[in-house]
Amino acid sequence: MGKGVHVTELPGVGKRYDIDLGRPDQRISVVIRSGGVRDLYVFASASADPTAVIELSEEQARKVAAVLSATFFED
Amino acid sequence: MAEADLLGLGVAVLLAGLLARGARRLGLPSVPCYMLVGIVTGPGTPGPVLVEHPGELSLLAALGLVLLLFHLGVEFPVDQVVGGGRRLFATAGCYITLNMCAGLLLGFALGWGVPEALVVAGALGISSSAIVTKSLIELHRLTNAETPVLLGVIVIEDLFLAFYLALLSPVLSGGGGVATLVEDVARSFGFLLLLFAVARFGARAVQGLIGSQEDELLAVLTIGLVLISAGLSQEVGVSDAIGALMIGLVVSRTAVNERVERLVLPLRDVFAAVFFVTFGLTIDVADLGPVLVPVLAAVVLTVLANVSAGVVAARLFGFNQRGAANIGLTVLGRGEFSLILATLAMGAGLDHRIGPFVALYVLVLAILSPLLASKSQYLARFMPDWLLRPGWRYVREETISTSCTHLDQIRVTETDTDVCPECVEAGSEWVELRLCVTCGHVGCCDDSPLRHASGHARATGHPIIQSLEPGEDWRWCFPDETLVRAPMGARRGEDD
Repeated sequence: MGKGVHVTELPGVGKRYDIDLGRPDQRISVVIRSGGVRDLYVFASASADPTAVIELSEEQARKVAAVLSATFFED
Repeated sequence: MAEADLLGLGVAVLLAGLLARGARRLGLPSVPCYMLVGIVTGPGTPGPVLVEHPGELSLLAALGLVLLLFHLGVEFPVDQVVGGGRRLFATAGCYITLNMCAGLLLGFALGWGVPEALVVAGALGISSSAIVTKSLIELHRLTNAETPVLLGVIVIEDLFLAFYLALLSPVLSGGGGVATLVEDVARSFGFLLLLFAVARFGARAVQGLIGSQEDELLAVLTIGLVLISAGLSQEVGVSDAIGALMIGLVVSRTAVNERVERLVLPLRDVFAAVFFVTFGLTIDVADLGPVLVPVLAAVVLTVLANVSAGVVAARLFGFNQRGAANIGLTVLGRGEFSLILATLAMGAGLDHRIGPFVALYVLVLAILSPLLASKSQYLARFMPDWLLRPGWRYVREETISTSCTHLDQIRVTETDTDVCPECVEAGSEWVELRLCVTCGHVGCCDDSPLRHASGHARATGHPIIQSLEPGEDWRWCFPDETLVRAPMGARRGEDD
């Protein structure tokens, strides 16, 4: 995986991607379960407990990803 | 042929589903709910009886058992486990040994007989992958450092189950002398080896047989194959459960594994629910009272064995108290496997107390384990430091996570320097030495008077230091204030 994304296998669940945002008080981890469901872990502090965990279906994840990658934009 | 009792079964399954739905809201597992509905509406319990003769459901229940194990085999992550490394196997070995020993101890103490003791050991020893996985997801612990280890352990445990069943089924079919028993065990393991060989080399043939483009045909062909494999192993005198598990492993190595997994999942869920309800139906509620004391003893033993295993895992992997407590209290969940073993025992005509014993045990742990898992931090506070590796004084309360975002700056992991050069120059003394993994600077620790290592980190912005003390392999990240661990499976110094 590219620099700054750390992949961990979660046997029986799926894969976890820890995304390095360059600062300790803002971190995002994404768990992609083998069924396709994504768990979006958001850390807004340096603590190990996530600030929010959002469960996304494949469809919802695509929507979020499209907006994040600026596929949808208005002129 | 008598008319099938669709109404009774339907009501029982619907009730089971509704109860499970309510329980899920409270974060309780669903398997014990199914069983509970079976117990309450069964012929052995006063009140309305939905299914008069549980025996009529035996075929459906057998299908549930077979599909449960088949699906376990299909989704078995062989590569992840093999890649998990020796430490993971050591941890799983400790976990299984501790739990099985505790189970055997109790089994023999109960004095119900040797086969009974073996069943009790299995029922106590093997945790429910489904319950553990669900609770990790619900407790939002998927990013915790100990989670990959925890999941690896329960997956290896599933593999252990196959061997245990192979050992157990000849003992259960019993009769005959020691020679017959040895022969039976040998045949059982021979069959297991044969299936392993099929799993290794026969995947292509199996794929040719079932690999239809159409989902409908794939499902039909797969179920047919699974039932044949389960039935064959029954014929050979090995449990049908093993046949199902092994054919699952075979299918997992074909190209259609993901489709099969997806197609079989709903079937498994439905028939497994029928299996659990049917198991409940055979339980007489009056039998639960007499086994209360053994069950409580079993629960206490299980908690003790699991927490010890958690501490062992934490020592091996270098987790702190939180990690140890999380592992110990999350793997407590018992469910499908305990019930499968109890069903096998009852089918073999062992002591009739086994059924109620396992039923009550699973029920108690079903309520207890999510509660304990979510409150693991309280246990962590009581764990003394000496149980775990030295160096943990830094993060007593915090779970170590991979939250360190500076792993890409690890460049130097070894050095020949065995003094603190700045202390030598200043004529001072030091306690322990730390290595800056970015540039290779060696400095003294924060317990030394001049604290050169952290001074260097502050001055240069280099994030991570590593202990140079013999026997210690921890790293500390200054900006993230966290202990850094190597990714699972990677050897120290090879992570990038």
